[in-house]
Amino acid sequence: MKVIGVHLDRCTGCKTCELYCAVERGSNGKTLLKAAQETPLPQPRLRVEGNNEFTFPLQCRHCLQAPCLNACLNAALVRDPETNLVLVREERCIACWTCTLFCPFGVIFPWPERKFALKCDRCAFMENPVCLEVCPCQALELVELEDFEKIPGQRRAEVGKTLAGKKEKGLLLLDLGE
Amino acid sequence: MECVIIGGGAAGLQAALHCRRCWPEKSVLLIEAEGDVGYCNPLLPQFMAGQVEEEKLFFWQPAEDPLLQIRKGIKIRSLDRPTQSLNLDNQEKIRYERLILAPGGQPILPLLRREDLPEGIFPVRTLATARKIRDWLLKHKEIVVLGGGLVGVKTAAYLQLAGFAVSLVEKEDHLLPQALTKPSARLVERHLQRLGIRLFLGCLLEDIQEEKGILKSAKVSGQWIPGETLLIAVGSTPNIDFLENSGLLQDKELLVSPALQTADANIFAAGDAVTISTSGGEKHKPWTWPQAVTQGKLAAENLFRSVPLPLNVLTRPNSMNLQGLSIVILGAPTPDAAIISHDRTAEGIYRELFLRGRKIVGGALVGDISGAGLLHFLMINGSEVDGDVARFLKPQSRVFYQLLPSSKRQRRRARILFPKEMLS
Ligand SMILES: Cc1cc2nc3c(=O)[nH]c(=O)nc-3n(C[C@H](O)[C@H](O)[C@H](O)COP(=O)(O)OP(=O)(O)OC[C@H]3O[C@@H](n4cnc5c(N)ncnc54)[C@H](O)[C@@H]3O)c2cc1C
Ligand code: SF4
Ligand code: SF4
Repeated sequence: MKVIGVHLDRCTGCKTCELYCAVERGSNGKTLLKAAQETPLPQPRLRVEGNNEFTFPLQCRHCLQAPCLNACLNAALVRDPETNLVLVREERCIACWTCTLFCPFGVIFPWPERKFALKCDRCAFMENPVCLEVCPCQALELVELEDFEKIPGQRRAEVGKTLAGKKEKGLLLLDLGE
Repeated sequence: MECVIIGGGAAGLQAALHCRRCWPEKSVLLIEAEGDVGYCNPLLPQFMAGQVEEEKLFFWQPAEDPLLQIRKGIKIRSLDRPTQSLNLDNQEKIRYERLILAPGGQPILPLLRREDLPEGIFPVRTLATARKIRDWLLKHKEIVVLGGGLVGVKTAAYLQLAGFAVSLVEKEDHLLPQALTKPSARLVERHLQRLGIRLFLGCLLEDIQEEKGILKSAKVSGQWIPGETLLIAVGSTPNIDFLENSGLLQDKELLVSPALQTADANIFAAGDAVTISTSGGEKHKPWTWPQAVTQGKLAAENLFRSVPLPLNVLTRPNSMNLQGLSIVILGAPTPDAAIISHDRTAEGIYRELFLRGRKIVGGALVGDISGAGLLHFLMINGSEVDGDVARFLKPQSRVFYQLLPSSKRQRRRARILFPKEMLS
């Protein structure tokens, strides 16, 4: 499974990814100008987090043990058998927001106006996710998760660096538990 | 039969499906007393109100699988452990190798144990009764809902919105007493009143009056409220009468270990029927939909494991969207916990956290539920929150970065944020 990785050193917090995610994936018009005039206003599926010191775009991690999946009251959240991604079947969503309470990353967003929960589906049906295409700093990258999965936890960071070839700029895995 | 599952609710159905996934060689039989399997109880209020059609309630349809058998409309009468068999109400006997009990709960019916009840009184719990309620409501527009807990509040709100005249009766002095403090409940009360619901707080149902076999009014703390419909939503008790002589009950409770194993190593139990007893002697009753699903799956996984694995999370958070008012309940107020709150009542927002030391042990978010997932994560992890806890209370959705240890915050490295199996 491919996931979106973020180069923290490159993200400037400009929120271009957020903007274009909303336009491309949330609007009918598909252009910035048209999207801005729509009601309800299109919403992005990822959010740029951070403060003055550091920023990064955060979107669904498609967790292997995804707590949101068991929480959904109406089987609207499913793991897609083909891509392994965690998806919201929007037509089944009953807007109870239970999933938003179970996602530890806070990346499922209520969209009350449209009455469904909004989350990143990694633009699975497109060649590349929109956010990745539009990022002016190339801070986002698609990475194969299995490559990391094969590596035992402790060594992941080290190997990750080697994989990327550059010592300080290697891809590193980050989780909350450490 | 190798695996038998009793009850086709949230826990039982997931147990059956997961059993097929985890143990593909084993045959599974699910027995459900009623006629429906695979529907969403939380949607019943909308269904009764006529806002959701019946087919929308079903989230699962049986697929062709020779090793999964589902028998509906058959009730288990008793369990005979020495012979590892079940007695069904049609006199049949079924043997099991492993058993999962997921009979859920039955509604508590206060005051109304009378034989000659008039028409118009219904508990809110199953689809079968919800169908009757929906039909009944076609002709009867005045409703009294008894119970200001989650189910009562939801039922009242959806019916009022659908054009019925609803009175809501709660015996405590505020709504959702098991989940909210008085100030946060105040917002919910205001919202319901704005919808037009009449609230009777601190009131008990004392009597009923009938006319020609149909309910006419309900007496609530001395006051007669007119209404041909009384919907009862004062909670549930485990549906475990059929286990009376099984030796599995203790003080009328079906106790299981955190691995969901009963006193019999071949029998597991999940969902609203169980009380989980930890090694420290604490008892938990996390009776919610997400728990029922998680437990059903875990029970299935544990069936043939030599060492069954425990459930990680025993909390029972809940979320509700009352058309215009979102409510998240992280955990109930406890007497020994400190309360911090973010009060913007005028704007319809009240957020509170219950703390023991620097640990979050509960809380509620009303009107603005942003950051709910992170707060829940901090709570179930038992994390000590450093710095100013109140920062999490301010409504904002972008707070994840605050959880990252400062060593991770250096800008110079490229990282994938990856959760590992942190909640597995
Ligand atoms: C109106 C309503 C709204 C709700 N809203 C929410 C919500 O928003 N969020 C939330 O988290 N939870 C909600 N809940 C609670 C949630 O539905 C339950 O926690 C969950 O359904 C419990 O699942 P269960 O499988 O343990 O029990 P149940 O769903 O009760 O299923 C048990 C099944 O076992 C069958 N059974 C019992 N005894 C026998 C027997 N002897 N033989 C054969 N079969 C038997 C019963 O017929 C029943 O179908 C709501 C409940 C109701 C009623
Ligand atoms: S929504 Fe949250 S919990 Fe669910 S898979 Fe994505 S990151 Fe994990
Ligand atoms: S909001 Fe939608 S996706 Fe989330 S738990 Fe409720 S039904 Fe499932």
